[in-house]
This record gives sequence, structure tokens and C-alpha cells, in this order.
Amino acid sequence: MIEEKILPISEMTTVLKPQIQFRNFDFYYGKFHALKNINLEIYERKITSFIGPSGCGKSTLLRTINRMYDLYPEQYSTGELLLDGQNILARGVDLNSLRAKVGMVFQKPTPFPMSIYDNIAFGVKLHERLSRTDMEERVEWALKKAALWEEVKDKLQQSGMSLSGGQQQRLCIARGVAVKPEVLLLDEPTSALDPISTTRIEELIIELRKEFTIAIVTHNMQQAARISDYTAYMYLGEMIEFGESEQLFIKPKMKATEDYITGRFG
Amino acid sequence: MSLTSVSTASSAKRESRRQIGDVIFFNLSRAFAVLTLLMLAGIIVSLFIGAWPSIERFGFEFLWSKEWNPPMERFGAAIPIYGTVVTSIIALIIAVPVSFGIALFLTELSPVWLRRPLGTAIELLAAIPSIVYGMWGLIIFAPIFSSHIQPFLTQTIGHFPLIGALFQGTPIGIGILAAGIILAIMIIPFISAVMRDVFEVTPTMIKESAYGLGCTTWEVVWNVVLPYTRAGVIGGIMLGLGRALGETMAVTFVIGNSNFLSSASLYEPGNSITSVLANEFSEATPGLYTASLIELGLILFLITLAVLVFSKILLLRLSRQDGTKS
Repeated sequence: MIEEKILPISEMTTVLKPQIQFRNFDFYYGKFHALKNINLEIYERKITSFIGPSGCGKSTLLRTINRMYDLYPEQYSTGELLLDGQNILARGVDLNSLRAKVGMVFQKPTPFPMSIYDNIAFGVKLHERLSRTDMEERVEWALKKAALWEEVKDKLQQSGMSLSGGQQQRLCIARGVAVKPEVLLLDEPTSALDPISTTRIEELIIELRKEFTIAIVTHNMQQAARISDYTAYMYLGEMIEFGESEQLFIKPKMKATEDYITGRFG
Repeated sequence: MSLTSVSTASSAKRESRRQIGDVIFFNLSRAFAVLTLLMLAGIIVSLFIGAWPSIERFGFEFLWSKEWNPPMERFGAAIPIYGTVVTSIIALIIAVPVSFGIALFLTELSPVWLRRPLGTAIELLAAIPSIVYGMWGLIIFAPIFSSHIQPFLTQTIGHFPLIGALFQGTPIGIGILAAGIILAIMIIPFISAVMRDVFEVTPTMIKESAYGLGCTTWEVVWNVVLPYTRAGVIGGIMLGLGRALGETMAVTFVIGNSNFLSSASLYEPGNSITSVLANEFSEATPGLYTASLIELGLILFLITLAVLVFSKILLLRLSRQDGTKS
């Protein structure tokens, strides 16, 4: 079922709609120029993966899309970053509703110290008022989306922290999905997981593409090749190459990309 | 095989010497650990023996008798127990929210350059000797308290149903409420320092996950950081409570040192267990008087022990809920 990634090619007949657009985008950690003149489009309901050596800026790029960097006063950006045509870097953008549209999952599972049910319901409650039955339906829906429902349906009141690592990560994905975002940002979501859990998460990501735009940072090039429709290769804060995963991995345009994906890097 | 055969006599000797060192170290550290147990048992036993004449004479009535009459040799601990418990409760009611605010500000809201000076200032508050707090409370705080704050409280909270009665009476400054407030000021540095430390160890990724869902800072702290760190927070509060229960000098200065309570008002001067001991131990006649004072000390010890046991049980139940322990 992982071969599903072949499918988008046939789907290509449908018009690609850019959901996120970087335009002349620069990012700084204080004086350090971490992202240099990024121009990039992330398409709606596609999986776009970001690869590159550590420190190339791929996680940084991901964290700009929900403006996570706003938590840290010394970090700032210039240029434009459009979500659905709106510049989210503009003044007066409501961060809380931006983050309701852009969900994020981290390198390690981060369940909140509350029950499985509340882990899901918590995020929903921030943005919507739902009746009890509606909330129960939403929790079930989200857990099913994250392929976790069958495993936890009898213990929803247990702590989210009592689950295994792979289950916790799927719980975090369910938590992100539950607020019905448009975009899901996945920052090396399988780097702390065993191979079996990794496979499950990969299948899940492919499944989620039907409803969400997905941007994923990964250190695992096979993973990027397996699951993503588009791949961006970054190096030292620059976007070296961007294209369909198929083409980028089989016949990259740039020598630097080829060196990296064939392991001749450095 | 080959490794053992090449080991020379000298290295074997060195090996056994190292093992002897280990044995000595093990026994020495065990002796220290056992010593604390022995000291604890010794203190309990000596308190019990010292208090025995009083226990024998008054029995459990000692706990709820309000009479404290040295000339007539009639003693009851109700007033000092009340004073100790109520001043500590007042201190916690004030100190916990304030400390939470301080810790929240220091970890989440404060600009980075302000964190260190502010944190140090709060730690310095903890370094002020308690007798200084007592003098300050008596000379500076109590007059201001009686002329400005108490009349204000009487006019506002004093009209509330139920709790209004607590804020009636003559505003004389020193009294149970003043002692509670001074205690609050004294324990704030302890509680806020512990809270700040445990808030700081909350993984950034957990906080970012909550921010990433669209939480405000308040929602992150209240719903994620606080539950995540509740064991540490409870530990900090219990540390403060333990200190409030046992604090002597500052309380003795401002509580009013009266063994009579005529109403429920917090304005009344009263006594705490520690203030009674500090005031009367040196002048107590041997016999029943001294034994009653020692029994007061025993009661304070038991109250503190009960607080400790209660907090351990609470923490155990919390961790069971988390599923981290079964």
C-alpha cells in the first residue's frame, strides 16, 4: 500500500492549488541568517517533504508556517509567507486561529498529562463549542483518522502518557487532526519510533493526504521517497531543488541534490 | 580465561583493596542513614516522655480545652493549635496564587534580561532571617495594617455573608491575620522558587505542542504545564506549609501572644504553638507546666508529620492517575 505514492502522478491531471507560498522569504536567529531567499509553493492535499543535512534549515522552515518562532523574541523573518493567499507574516494576524488551521506534530510524542479523550478534546475546545455527543463523535473521528481508535476505544479515560511511543505519536496526530486544520506540519514524526510504528505512521500520513495538506521534515530519504508527492532539498538555508519526488530522487537536476541522495555528500 | 590467567598478583591485591574500600564506604553510608532514623525515634521518644505527666493528667481533653492557666496548673492546647493551623492556612491562601504568578512570570512572560535579577531578588527574600521579618512586621507592617488595611477589609469583605465575621473587630494590627500575612511573605520565596524550577523543566516540545494547537500562554500554563509539574508544585506548597507551621520568631512578634479568643475574627490576637513555646518555655516551672509545653511540641511534630503523609498520599494518587505508576 506504500506504492500509493505512484498514484499522484495519475492524479496530476487535476489542477494543483498552492496552499502555502513562500516569497523571497528570509529567516534569522538573531544575527544568524538561517533561511535565505526561499521561494516555494506547497500544494493543497499533497505531501511535501523536506530533506537535507542537519542544520540546513528544514525544521526552521516548517516552524515558520505556524509562526512557532514567535515564542522566541530573537527570531524573525522577512519576505512573504502566504496561506490561502493571505500573508500570515502581516501584523495583526491572529496566531491562535492560524495555529488552528496549521497543526503540528513533533520529533518525539508529546501527549499532554491528561486522559486520551481529553488529549483530543483539549485542542477542539480551544476553538469550538461542541455538545457532549458532538465532542465524543469528534474524538472518535480523530482517533479513527489516526488509526488509533481500535486500540484505545476501551480506555479513553486512561492517561495519554500510558500509551506506547508509536501510539502516543498517533495520539498526537489525532490531536492535530481533531481541530480540522488545513495543513499538518510533521517535524521528523518517526525519528523516535521503531520500524513497525514508523510504517504505521507512514501509511497514516498517506491516508491523511486525502484531507490535509502535509509538510514533513525527515532525515530518512527512503521515507521521503516512499510517501511524498513533492520533495525539497535544502542545504545551508537555501532551497537547492524542489520538484516531484519521483523526478527528484531518480533524476535530480542539481549535482548537489544527486550527491546528497546518493550518499556522496561531503 | 586468558584474561584471568594474565592478571598478576599485584593487580589482584589492588583489586581486593578496592573492594575493601567499597565495603567500608557501604557500611559508613548505611550508618549515617540509620543514624537519622535513630535520631528521629529518639526525638519522638524523648518528647513523649517529657510530655507524659501532661498526657496522663489531661488526656485527649488537652487537644480541645481552651484554658491555659499556669497558676492553676490547667492547660489546654486548643488556642495554640488553632493559631498554628489558621495562620498557616491564611499564609497558603495568599502565598500559593502569588507564587504561581511569580513563577509564571519568570518562566513564560518575563523578558530574558529581567529573569535573572528578579529570580535572585526572590531567592534573597528567603535569605532574610525570620526575626527581621518579625521586627519589620511589628514596627512597620502592623501600624499600617491597623490604620489602613484592616478598616478597608472590614468595610468590604466584612459585609460578606459567612466570611464577613472573620473581618470584624478592633483593628489593632497585630493578631492572627497579621501573622498569616507575614508568614505568607516568608514562604512565597520558597514556593515560587520551587514552582519556577519545575516549570522550567517542562519540555519545550510539550509547550510548543500546546501553542501549536492555538493555546494562549495562560492556557498552556494552566492546562499543560501545571498538570505536567503538579508533583513538583505540590512539593513546593508542602515545603512552604511545613515552614509556616514551624515558623517561630516572626509569628511570636506579630501574633499578639494572647491565650484567649473571644470571637472568630482574624483580627484577634492569638497564639501559635511555636509562639507559646518561645514565650513561656524559659519561665515555665518544672512539672506539669513544662510537660504541657513539651506536649505542645509533640503535637506540632504530629501535625507536620500528618501534612507530610498527606502530601505523599496525594502524590501517589496523582501518579497513579497518570498511569506512570500502577
